[in-house]
Amino acid sequence: MADTIVMPRQGNSVESCVLVKWRVKEGDEVQNKTIIADVETDKASFEVEAGFTGTVLKLVHAEGDDVPVMQPIAYVGKAGEALPAGAAAMATPAAPAPSTAAPADVPAAPAITMAAMAAPVSAAAGSSPASPRARILAASQGLDATGLAGTGPEGRVIERDVKAALGASAPATAAAIEEALRLGVKLPAQGSGLGGRVTVADVSTSTAAPSSAPVAGATGTSRAFPGPKTETKIKSIRKVIADRMAESLSTTAQFTLNASALAVRLQELRARFKASDAALGLNGITIGDIIVYAVSRTLGRYPYMNAHKVADSVFEFEYVHLGIACDTPRGLMVPVIRNADTLTLKQISDETKRLAEACRSGTAKPDDLSGSTFSISNVGAFGVESFTPVLNVPEVAILGVCGIAPKPVQKGNDVVFLPSVGLSLTINHMVVDGAPAAKFLKGLCDAIGECDILLAK
Amino acid sequence: MYDIIIIGGGPGGYIAAERAGARGQKVLLIEKEHLGGVCLNWGCVPTKTLLNSAKTYAHALHGGMFGVHAEKVTFSLTEAMAWKNEVITKLRGGIAFLMKKFKVEVVSATAEIVDKNTVKTSDGKTWQGKNIIIATGSTPAMPPIPGAKDNPHVVTSTGLLDIKTMPTSLVVIGGGVIGVEFASLFATLGVKVTVVEMMEEIIPFMDKEHAPQMRKALSNIDFQLGCKVEKLDGGTVHYTRASASADGAKSVKGDLVLMAVGRSLNTKNLGLEKLGVDVGPRGIVVDEFQRTNIPGVFAIGDVTGKSLLAHSASRMGEVAVSAIVDPPESRQRMRYTAIPWVVYTNPEAAGVGMTEDEAKKAGKNVVCSTVPLRNSGRFLAENGASAPGAVKVVTDGDTHRILGVQMYGAGVGEMIWGAAAMIETELRVNEAREIVFPHPTVGETIRDALWEMH
Ligand SMILES: Cc1cc2nc3c(=O)[nH]c(=O)nc-3n(C[C@H](O)[C@H](O)[C@H](O)COP(=O)(O)OP(=O)(O)OC[C@H]3O[C@@H](n4cnc5c(N)ncnc54)[C@H](O)[C@@H]3O)c2cc1C
Repeated sequence: MADTIVMPRQGNSVESCVLVKWRVKEGDEVQNKTIIADVETDKASFEVEAGFTGTVLKLVHAEGDDVPVMQPIAYVGKAGEALPAGAAAMATPAAPAPSTAAPADVPAAPAITMAAMAAPVSAAAGSSPASPRARILAASQGLDATGLAGTGPEGRVIERDVKAALGASAPATAAAIEEALRLGVKLPAQGSGLGGRVTVADVSTSTAAPSSAPVAGATGTSRAFPGPKTETKIKSIRKVIADRMAESLSTTAQFTLNASALAVRLQELRARFKASDAALGLNGITIGDIIVYAVSRTLGRYPYMNAHKVADSVFEFEYVHLGIACDTPRGLMVPVIRNADTLTLKQISDETKRLAEACRSGTAKPDDLSGSTFSISNVGAFGVESFTPVLNVPEVAILGVCGIAPKPVQKGNDVVFLPSVGLSLTINHMVVDGAPAAKFLKGLCDAIGECDILLAK
Repeated sequence: MYDIIIIGGGPGGYIAAERAGARGQKVLLIEKEHLGGVCLNWGCVPTKTLLNSAKTYAHALHGGMFGVHAEKVTFSLTEAMAWKNEVITKLRGGIAFLMKKFKVEVVSATAEIVDKNTVKTSDGKTWQGKNIIIATGSTPAMPPIPGAKDNPHVVTSTGLLDIKTMPTSLVVIGGGVIGVEFASLFATLGVKVTVVEMMEEIIPFMDKEHAPQMRKALSNIDFQLGCKVEKLDGGTVHYTRASASADGAKSVKGDLVLMAVGRSLNTKNLGLEKLGVDVGPRGIVVDEFQRTNIPGVFAIGDVTGKSLLAHSASRMGEVAVSAIVDPPESRQRMRYTAIPWVVYTNPEAAGVGMTEDEAKKAGKNVVCSTVPLRNSGRFLAENGASAPGAVKVVTDGDTHRILGVQMYGAGVGEMIWGAAAMIETELRVNEAREIVFPHPTVGETIRDALWEMH
């Protein structure tokens, strides 16, 4: 009888994977180690090996399907061999396997961890998988590798593709830019000058087809309505994120409180870490790390904030596992610092860095990315003053960290301006009320304000 | 099977070989005479070495203004020639070392192309290559002037670089770079020199204001301009004024007559006709990637007739190698807009980009600025208050782009590359003004000219 290849289990907490790409087709011969498909969770991508030798008899799912783990995805055997009973019934490619909603009875390990961040992810969703090198290069240039056309094996986006995309906008001499502005034309993509620079001559030759568009556009007369648009199918990881976001907002009652904590000590402490003896290994501790530390020590006193709501139950957790929202080339990822309440500030800092790097380079393991009990999204670096983080369901709260700005504080008859860090806390009002949430937020502000003392505890 | 077979070991061929070797290509370089080509053996290097001897001689004679007095100053042709040969030998060794370093195989033989992947050499061997680069250069042209053939007084540049005794008089036919450089060399050494040139001005690509001043500065040379050589009679050169206001036939006599009327390109006996390579009246036809009409066959340097300069040949070699080894999107191109030239006379001349006239012909709203080199403290100190020299910056008055820089005067050859960089990067006057020049140097006059521009 034919052998069944199933969607492998990727770590304990992953319930389903998206089948991104088939690398074989029905009728192909495969060996034990032949890669038959690329699959991904919302955190990382994996390759599936055949595990058997023989002919591919049937591919059960279409590319783009979200397939529960341990479900059959393909059958391998001798050509013409019968499929196992029940196999045919699954083989309707159009019907995507139902994505497993949060399993009602397993609160300890949320299926998909994901938090909301203000920064939109720019990935075109027709994403092809990208190699880690490609992703790192792309990220370093502010480019999204997954949006590119891949020329690597199986359409993978590789370093060369990223380089080509970067090169697509060749540098231009200042005089060429001025000439393009003067003529009202776009700079050509390729130049003939030094190192491929676009030169004045390139601009002039590219104007052979004169463009009257800018003038027409400016007067607004000859412009079609609504104008050209491009369509990109939402699929793969973007689809998972989209569904979870909608689920979060439609199944919870979100409510955001804004406050600010004095950041005088925070900045002092950070400055002293930075200046400390390198041998201590504390130079890299950031403001964000100290806030994460404060959260890890404060949550214990407010257990109703360190909780999940699953169906009709609330599960309060004894230990603190913090999800840290990370912006990566593939989109938002939320790695988890497990047992944060037992870690020192240095350990928290090191672990955050390790996880962020793993996410960026695509080497994070599924278990690095699941099991959070409370999440933190830090957009302070972008100068955001306050925002409404979206709950990482089934968690009941998420903390948004904003930028540091001077705030007026009354001192006797005087007003002084002291640096303060903005905090935006979203809660699920279905199970947490405003006052208890505010108490937690106040406790957190105090802890941050006196972070040096907190460290001594 | 070689990746690239290069025919000719001049500045085109050996630089191409070096660059290709550095890129891991398997390269064969075929040279029938000496590595370094005309440039090293019969061109740039020997002429500059001898010109330096002449300039040193002149400094020794005229150092009084600077408080230096030398007596019994003499010039020894034998010693100068020996030093010239030593320089050439050293540099040839350097090229041979580079070829070894980059694992380029060098064959000493005359090459002929059999087909687009096969070359045979005069030693009876045949060689296979994926690509062929033709870099066979040029040789002195011999015009059919009556009495020139087999005339013992007549020499080419090659012959003049190998003379054993000093002439007392020299007639140079041709007022181009090669002719004027030799004229300056021998005139500085006290030889009576006459230059007979058909055109109304020497060095055709020079700025039209600078050229007459250059002639004035080369006051030890007798220039006969607008004159056509009719025939030679031993060392006597008969010529007539070409212009209408001609004052008839004239003649001048020299111990030696240098034929410097141009170069003929080495396209013969290479198998080009059989292969079907497109050879135009001005050399092998190539595109901006140095490709000929035959795929896999490239041509670089003098033999293309595009720019008869050593550094152009080298750059073409780099471009050809890039066309072979680089992916299409990062292939380099040959550009001619910013190739500098230098005439190593005493004083020198140099330029890059457009002259004022060329810019006007191109329809630009030309704005120029000229500054005498005496404005530079260093130039004044080292050359005196009456020393000739100026720099002219040519710009586009509409876009303020620097279009050309032309200069003449002592040492200008060493600073023209800076102007080439400005033009290659399309700098505008305001941007170039921000560049800091070391003080005191003669190059600062370029900066002064930029600031004088309104
Ligand atoms: C007197 C003089 C002074 C000059 N001064 C300067 C100067 O100051 N600055 C400057 O930039 N330029 C100068 N030039 C010009 C410069 O020398 C040439 O532009 C330059 O040498 C061209 O290089 P190339 O590689 O194209 O050819 P070449 O240097 O001519 O080299 C071609 C080589 O190919 C070899 N060859 C030819 N046919 C074959 C064959 N069939 N098989 C094998 N080998 C073959 C030849 O032996 C030769 O070595 C001067 C030229 C002369 C004559």
